[in-house]
Amino acid sequence: MFRLAAQRAVANKIASSSRAVKSTTLFARCRTATWKPSSAPSLPSVASWGARRSYADAASKFSRAKPHMNIGTIGHVDHGKTTLTAAITKVLSANGAAKFTDYSQIDKAPEEKARGITINSAHVEYETGNRHYGHIDCPGHADYIKNMITGAAQMDGAIIVVSATDGQMPQTREHLLLARQVGIKKLVVFINKVDMISDPEMLELVDMEMRDLLSTYNFDGENTPIIMGSALAALEGRDDEIGAKKIESLVQACDEWLDVPPRDLEKPLLMPVEDVFSISGRGTVATGRVERGIANKGDEVEIVGLGATFKTTLTGIEMFHKELDRGEAGDNMGCLLRGVKREQVRRGQVIIAPGSMKSVKKFQAQIYVLTKDEGGRYTPFMSNYRPQLFLRTADITVSLTFPEGTADAEDRMVMPGDNVEMICDLVHDVAAEAGSRFTLREGGRTVGTGIVTKILEEA
Amino acid sequence: MLSRCISRAYSTSLPKPPLQLVAQLRKLTDVSITKAREALIASNNDVNAALQWLEKDLAVSGARQAAKVEGRDAREGLIGISILSSGSASNSIIGSGGIRAAMIELNCETDFVGRNTLFTQLAADIAHTAAFISDPVDSGCLINPCPLDLLNDAPLISHITPHSHQSSTVSNSIRDLIAKVGEKVSLKRVVTVVQPPAPRQATLGLRLGSYMHGSMGSALQGRIGGLAVIGIQSQELSSQLSSEPFMRDMEKLERSVARQIVGFETKSIKIDSSRQDGTALYEQPFMMLGGEAANETVRDGLDKWGREHGLRGNENDGIEVLEFAKWTVGEVVE
Repeated sequence: MFRLAAQRAVANKIASSSRAVKSTTLFARCRTATWKPSSAPSLPSVASWGARRSYADAASKFSRAKPHMNIGTIGHVDHGKTTLTAAITKVLSANGAAKFTDYSQIDKAPEEKARGITINSAHVEYETGNRHYGHIDCPGHADYIKNMITGAAQMDGAIIVVSATDGQMPQTREHLLLARQVGIKKLVVFINKVDMISDPEMLELVDMEMRDLLSTYNFDGENTPIIMGSALAALEGRDDEIGAKKIESLVQACDEWLDVPPRDLEKPLLMPVEDVFSISGRGTVATGRVERGIANKGDEVEIVGLGATFKTTLTGIEMFHKELDRGEAGDNMGCLLRGVKREQVRRGQVIIAPGSMKSVKKFQAQIYVLTKDEGGRYTPFMSNYRPQLFLRTADITVSLTFPEGTADAEDRMVMPGDNVEMICDLVHDVAAEAGSRFTLREGGRTVGTGIVTKILEEA
Repeated sequence: MLSRCISRAYSTSLPKPPLQLVAQLRKLTDVSITKAREALIASNNDVNAALQWLEKDLAVSGARQAAKVEGRDAREGLIGISILSSGSASNSIIGSGGIRAAMIELNCETDFVGRNTLFTQLAADIAHTAAFISDPVDSGCLINPCPLDLLNDAPLISHITPHSHQSSTVSNSIRDLIAKVGEKVSLKRVVTVVQPPAPRQATLGLRLGSYMHGSMGSALQGRIGGLAVIGIQSQELSSQLSSEPFMRDMEKLERSVARQIVGFETKSIKIDSSRQDGTALYEQPFMMLGGEAANETVRDGLDKWGREHGLRGNENDGIEVLEFAKWTVGEVVE
């Protein structure tokens, strides 16, 4: 039993994204395994949970009432991204919706740079009438991709910053390509430094060229909001017409144009199976932590992955030793499954809302290969490398190859520190979809982490 | 021609340049909106005259921009390799039978610029120029650093159309790119390998192996580049070099050696008794040759390859890695 628990703890850490270290795992398990008569340990842990909560509440007042969205600024180094970020917090702080964050606080300290912290995500946040934003700066292509794969930073939408004096620059194309590559569908454009331009007609040209370029890269060039103002004016509190007011319209444009990603609760049910028990007199129980969605007693569910896909009904949900009618994202719970034998359900499968996910055998993924210093491999690997793939609670051998059409695929190598797009061919099928995260392990060490970009073959 | 007519028409009626012309000028040159407008005003809305004006102005404004960004950190960018001739038995137009190659590192501030075609093309042209203009150096080394002053003043030779005569020098082209992308762009280091062809009956041949890791567009540009000069000694060298299967295998071996150097932490070639940390090429497992070679060291792998390919007439016959260079973008150079 102890061995099992230890294994699970390890697998949990691996299956979750590198950032989301779950402090709750240990006592959560105490709560989940409640189909058997359980003993005391749950009590003290619940008490400590309560204590932690009140401490956190006192420290900050982050409200979950508004939908949250991560937004990033992308633009040329001199076009005023940092000024704009500072200006947004300044303007919004006037009505208490943000804490004013000055340049010096936004611009990363040199020692942070030296330590290789490329994206500082938790730094800047602000609120509007109906949303809460986390704001990141996107310093480079490779840096952002790495942070996205490892889960350290995520942009759901982006503000492209362009200076009116220069107009779009050659590298603006690369900015849009990055946004496309990481799945951002909608952008807002901020044309900065309009007070530095002598001929206002030129702004029309900046606008026109920008819409052209957006359309070239498959964004909605016609309807994308383009706001023209001066971030510096807003920051210095002068010329409200091009300063503060424009910042307000920029934020409003973000509110109206950018789509909030669906919240976990609104998505269809998904619970990875961590453990399976057979309780005499009741039947088979699968335990796990609900990743998203809501489970109701009596719901029809589908069990997917590892060769078997079948439907059944949730005849019971239990948490905290108690029977419940409903479990939701974040809950550690046990599900009683109607008419299912214990051998039919295995760790690594998922319990989902019927039809919401498919079991797959082959997919394309964006992978970051950990460096030696990050605990990864010392040496490169080639096509047909076969590590273990950990996806949620599943652990499957995978074969990695280069996508079709890769030049010199035969002798191309992947080195620690690389971001690569690769084809993952699984030995067993597993439930996955575009956006699913996984890690790669070999001989007890994590060698890479990845995110599914495209499903190629269903089971 | 049409544009000229339009511009004339406009110039008489409008004091400030029409948007279409500014847009057109920008499409042609990638200059900033402010500059494009200035150019049209100065040249009375004549696009061709504005182009000439811009060319002159670029020297001034580029220098100004270059001075402005001088103190910044430029650690992104790419390594570029140009190989005009890869050694014995090569049939290239330039330097046939000898080695003529260069490796450069061109830096910028963000990898957005590093991925832009303006930047990658300039890097390829500079690498080509370095390989083209360099003379053999009598230094006792095969891979030699190329003096940056010399290269900066050299006319830039396009790697695509080598015969078109460009008036711009390497340093001017870098300055022009700075004006266009607004970031610091700097040529950090250059090495060249230039060896004249060996006499026909020589028993020692030189070959150049190369590998580029992390390439995006061209296989000759990427984040980590490696060059390896390989010596091949044989009594029947000239007949072996003219054999097609032999050369095919030889090229594969050269590439494997270069890949080995790039893929593994390689600091020296021969095993050094004072430092046994796996950074000597010859003691590494030869994983990059493929097949069974992964179980033997590079030294053993080279010997075995030599035996299998008939390099055994004399006791000195065989394959030897003579020198190598391995560069990573943004690394600190002592």
